[in-house]
Order: sequence, then C-alpha cells, then structure tokens
Amino acid sequence: MGNKRRVTRRDFVKAAAVAAVAGGAKPVLGAPAILSGPNPGSTVHYGFIGTGTEGCNLLRHLTTIPEGRCIATCDIYPPNLKKGVETIGSNPQTYTGSPFEYRKMLERKDLDAVLIATPLNLHAQMVIDSLNAGKHVFVEKTMYFKEEEGGLIQKAAQANPKQVLQIGLQRRSSILYNVAMQMVHKGALGKVMFVRAQWHRNNSWRRPVRDPKFERLINWRMYREYSGGLMAELASHQVDIANWAFGSEPISVMGTGGIDYWKDGREVCDNIEVIFEYPEGRKMLYSSILYNAHFQYNEQIMGDQGTLIITIGKGMYYREAAAKVTNGKAKENWWAGATVTEHAVQKGIPLFPDGTEGGKQGFLDRELLYAKRWLASMGIYEYEEPHDPYWSELSNFMASIRDGKPIACPMEIGMADARAVIYGNRAIDTGTRVFWPKKEA
Amino acid sequence: MIEPPLADERIGLFNFLPFMRLLVRLSLLLLLPLATNPPMRAADSLVRYEASHQAMGTVFTVAAYGSDSAYLEEVTHEVFQVIDQLDDQMSNYKPTSELSSINRDAAAHPVIVEPGLFKLLQDSLQYSRDSGGDFDITVGPLMKAWGFFRGQGRLPSKEELAEALKRIGYQHITLNPATRTISFDEPGIEIDLGAIAKGYAVDQAVQVLRDNGITQALVSSGTSSIYALGSPPGADGWKISVRDPLDVNKAVCVVKLRNLSLSVSGDYEKFFKINGKTYAHIMDPHTGMPVENMLSTVVVSPSATDSDALSTSFFVEGPGRAGKYLRRHPNLTAVFFLPAPSGHAFRRITLKSSVTDLPPSSLVTIDCQ
Repeated sequence: MGNKRRVTRRDFVKAAAVAAVAGGAKPVLGAPAILSGPNPGSTVHYGFIGTGTEGCNLLRHLTTIPEGRCIATCDIYPPNLKKGVETIGSNPQTYTGSPFEYRKMLERKDLDAVLIATPLNLHAQMVIDSLNAGKHVFVEKTMYFKEEEGGLIQKAAQANPKQVLQIGLQRRSSILYNVAMQMVHKGALGKVMFVRAQWHRNNSWRRPVRDPKFERLINWRMYREYSGGLMAELASHQVDIANWAFGSEPISVMGTGGIDYWKDGREVCDNIEVIFEYPEGRKMLYSSILYNAHFQYNEQIMGDQGTLIITIGKGMYYREAAAKVTNGKAKENWWAGATVTEHAVQKGIPLFPDGTEGGKQGFLDRELLYAKRWLASMGIYEYEEPHDPYWSELSNFMASIRDGKPIACPMEIGMADARAVIYGNRAIDTGTRVFWPKKEA
Repeated sequence: MIEPPLADERIGLFNFLPFMRLLVRLSLLLLLPLATNPPMRAADSLVRYEASHQAMGTVFTVAAYGSDSAYLEEVTHEVFQVIDQLDDQMSNYKPTSELSSINRDAAAHPVIVEPGLFKLLQDSLQYSRDSGGDFDITVGPLMKAWGFFRGQGRLPSKEELAEALKRIGYQHITLNPATRTISFDEPGIEIDLGAIAKGYAVDQAVQVLRDNGITQALVSSGTSSIYALGSPPGADGWKISVRDPLDVNKAVCVVKLRNLSLSVSGDYEKFFKINGKTYAHIMDPHTGMPVENMLSTVVVSPSATDSDALSTSFFVEGPGRAGKYLRRHPNLTAVFFLPAPSGHAFRRITLKSSVTDLPPSSLVTIDCQ
C-alpha cells in the first residue's frame, strides 16, 4: 500500500448514505411491443435504463446506428440522466425519481426494446420485467447477480420466445475474436489445453464522488450489495473467451483474492487469482489486479501447435516450434540460411494487419483494398475489424430484432458466464474448490 | 504526507520526446509549462497531482491541485478514459474507429455521425471556409504522398502529387445536419483530424475536470496544445515557456495563461531532408507542398480546439492573411516566427484580434525576448 491514499477513504465511505438502488418487487405486465417479430426496414424504438459511464458509452455508439431510435431514458441519479440525454441527442422522454420508474417506461406501447446498463444487482428484475412487458432486451454483462436469478430470467425468456434477449459480452460480436475462434476450432493451434488471461490495472477502480451521499450509487462496484467485483466486471469478459475456446463451461473453480492494497473501505477484492478447470483437464488461469498495469488485458490461448494472444483490436498467432516425423529413408537435403519459422515462432503473425493499410498508395494496393472490403462486405473474407465491437454488438441487437438475424450473444452464453462469475467469487470467498452442478442426463 | 508543490513546476515535456515519433499531425509545438513561484503558505492545504497518458500518438498530461490526492487521481483517470474514447473514435490508424468507418463508406453512401464528432466536423469545415482552404481536414492523401503517415518522408513525383491533390479539398465533404450524416462526392477522400482532434480532446478533458469541481489544473496534449484552468496556488496564471523554433533548449517567450488555451505549430518536430533541403510536415493544401517561410506559430484562444486548428491554419497563411481572420474573430492572440533573411535568427510578429471581450477570469500575457 503506497502512501497515496492520504485521505481517510474509510471515513468518507462511512459517511456515505445508503443509496436507493434496491431491487425486488412484482413484475409488471405491459402491452406487447410493436416489433414482436422481425420487421425489416422498420426503426427499433428503444428505452435505455442506466445512463452512467458504461450506459453513455453504449449510447454514444447507438447515435450512429440508424436502425434504432432512443425514445426514453431512465436513471435515478440526475447528473447521469442529464448526461444520457445529451449523449444520445434524440430528445428522449426521461424517467427518474424512483428505482421503479423504469416500469412506467415499460408500459409504453411504442417501445420495442430495452437496453439495461445498471448496477449488477438490478439486472435480473429489470430483464424479467422488460421481457414480460413484451420488450426485446439487451442487458450488460454480467447477465445476473445471484445464482437463482438465472432460472427466473430463463423462465421469462421461455415465456416470451419471440423476443430477443442479448447479453453485452461484446467480444462475441468482434470479427477479430470470431476469426480467432475459427482458428482454435479448426485446429490451427492443435489441441488447446490452456488459457491464461489477465486484466491488470494500476488505479483504484473508483469513480470520483463529490458528494459522499452518492458514494454507493456511483461506486456501486465497490460494494457487495450490488457488485460481484473484478470477477463480474472484468473477468466475465474473459472467462467467456475460455468457454468459447473450450466449447464448454468449467467443471470446477478454485481461487484466492483479497483487499490487500486499496484498503479504502471497499468490500470487493482488489486482486483475484483463479483457476477454472474444464472437461478433459483443460484449464484457465486468471488474474485481475489493481496495482500494476504492465500486462494490461488479453487472453492467451495455448494449444500444442500454437498460441493466440488476443485482445480487443489486436490478435497475434505464434506457432510452436514444429518437429516433423517421416520415414527413415528420406533423402537428406540441407540448406543454410535464415529460416521462416523464427518469425512465426518468436515474433508472431498478426491476425489482421496492424492498423489501416493507408501507408501504401499504389494503384494496385488501393484496388486490392477495395476488393478485400467488397469480399468482406459479403462475409466471404475477413481482414480487419471494421467497427468497434461495442458498436457491432448494438448493431447486431437491432438486426436481430428487425431482421431476425441470429443473436450474437444469447442467453445461454450469458448464463454460463454468470455461473462462472458466481462460482468464482464463491471459491474466493470460501477458500474451497467449487464444483458446477452435475448436468441432468 | 502532503508534499508541497515544487518551486519549479516544469512539466517535463522533454521527457516525452521519445514517444513523439508516433506523432502524426499538422501542428506541433514544444511547451514548458511552469507555475509561478508558488508560495508555500497558499499551498499548505493543497496537494498537487500529475499524471501522463499515451493517446492519439502523443502523451497527455494533467497537473491538478485539490485537497484530496485520491480524488484527483480518480478524476484524472476519468479524464484519460474520455481521451481514450476520443482516440478510439477519431483515429485514422484504427480500422475500428468511427473516422475510419466514415473514410471507408462516405463516398458510397451518407454515414451517420455521433453528435460530438459531427459538431467537430462542422467546425472543421468552418475553419476551412474562413481560411479559404488553408486549414483542411482532407489533407490525408497528401501526408501519405509525402510519407508522413506510417513512414519516412519522401519526395513524391509530380504525378503522385497531382493524384493526391485531386482528392484534397474540404468542398468534397457534405454534412447534412438534419440527418446528422456525412458524405463525400467521390472515392478516395480521407479525413485526417490530426490538426484539431488533440485540441478537442484537451477541451473535453477540461470539461471533465470542471464537472468534477477541479478549478486549478493544466492539461496538455504532448507538445501540441495546452489549457490552463484557473491558476496554480499563489499565482495569477500558469507560466508556459515556448521554445525557440531554432533551438530546442532555449525558451523564446514566456506566456502566462489563465482559463485560456495555447497551441503551437512548428516545422521542427517532424521533417526530413533531401539534398540538404528540409521538408516539414505542414502542407499547403493548395499547392501540395510543405509550407516554407514559417518556423512556428503560437495561438492563444479560449478554446483548445480553436487554438489547435488556428495554429495550423495561421502557419499556412502567414501573418498577412491571418491578420484578416483576427479582424473578424475576437479574443485571439497569435505569434508568428518567420525566418530572417540571414538565416541565423528569426523575425517575430505578434497579432491580436481587433475585439477582445474576455471575462476577468481569463488572463494572457506574453513576454518574449
């Protein structure tokens, strides 16, 4: 612990009032939305619940997706409500004042869809209410907070099968990640046995709070009443990558963690170190810390023939040094000189070119670029990530509603992810190895 | 535990120079911000927090005063997050950025633009119209022809230059406010916000500071633009040294600023030499050639977006045409450093807007050797 925590944060936190972000109440039943089924060419009218930092990030991307129009926003914290309205710029009707005000929004018949970016403990009830009100739903990861909420959401989704329910794990909408996963699943890495991932930061992970009475509302991530900590907010993205690569959920998890550096009154760990075990002995080793940022965040997928190191915007492929077995009668024919494998083994091969190809300006280069883009536009060939994955996931959401496009990150993926988060935290809290329930045959 | 502010508050911009090779922009400067003799008495209850962050191919620095270092750190982190978002949006290096998407698609069909970026594009076109095209965000192909994008400088052939010039001109861009869309009238047009985005990012950073109640801070985007929010303890403004355009180790002017921004464009940061002739990175969009006969320009304005764009625009225009702009636009100060006939020194010309109605909370004094 450095001496930079000069001010007594603990006192500050003690003084903070308990924020009114409680959930729980009866579900509402609204009229079915206009767009209960695909309707190409229409505009999706949506409402947005929770216009804080992450909510406004999504809203910013939504401003450039013309297939949807924001007609309502909802937040109980007035500065965030204002920021949300300014960000989207479509003059939405606002709902504020009480944590249940969103239900009034859900009563609107002209509302097709709801996007939810609230504190984690509020997700489940809002998703269930929105589904039961006939709305399509996008909910930020982690999908839900408590184990029992998964089944309740599933039930509501099954009762409203025509509605889209998409989870905000944006890597699922990334072309780079999809290409990486094709490499994994088509054997480019050989037998994939291990994933190592980390999300390392060197800051308090707190947001600035001017008035202590809003501490728990703004820094909800720090308090167990609302938050699953680093596991729910950061690891959730990356455990999903291991699930995707291995094609399976984990079967057990063990881990540790603690509040060992930022002793500022927070209730969630400032470091977590976890091992997820998957079928057939495959494992994921994970860490998230808040006191060193050197390794930042990425996922390293390791097979017996190669490695992928991937993160948003960049993926590198490294071959394992290969041994070749032939019959003993092969003719020996050796050449001296540099080998091409050194580059592939040590320096790696980028999945996509690093940045735009703007440095080349020849006629053929430009024609080639247009040809690549033309092929990419038809889904034949992928050579770059054309949009921010946040944008892509939101665009996919609109396309699933309007055009019936497959959901980029459906409920099942979100549930598997949420289980890993919940069991991972349980393993840390109890110091025991936590096993996934046996699946019924 | 409380560390008093340093007597000499040089924000070490010299230390960031190794990062500068990534810098691709039209205007560059080297600034040395200093606080004015902060008396210990006034600083007793204050703590100074300073942090830097790489983004937009440069290093952003925030230095802020407040009573709680943890709070200052949290606010500064928020500032850097906002800057990163702008980088992700406005980079022409990242294929995922909104700007790359515009450059890819706006010739084929109108592209809807995020409101903040749309406003910045509107402002950019206004600077172009006001300067008769001396400021132009479509100079990207020219920068590439001269090798200033991801590469070493090179002398383009006449054909290459003619080809690049065909795709340059802000008139190729149409903005439709009703639909908030942008379109290009032919393929090959490319927007490069290198001459304005960092200033815009500084303004957005200052807004985050203000929103969080910070009243004494300095924000700089590498050697490009700087905004002085309030003043450091015990001083009436932030002192900023502007480097001699011919000598990196010498300060040529000291500017004292409060609630104003300052930007510099210089020919000394990014250039190459062929056959003994120096070619700098600031292009005249009309001729396709690097601007000659200007060493650097300094512009002070209430907005960093404004000063960033104008320092480039004035660099191309020179004091003559820039003077006309200053007659029509209030609250600006511009300093021009021109080569002297002898070649060993320079000429300095300072111009001010005809009209100044800055609030008393703002201050600018310029003290040159």
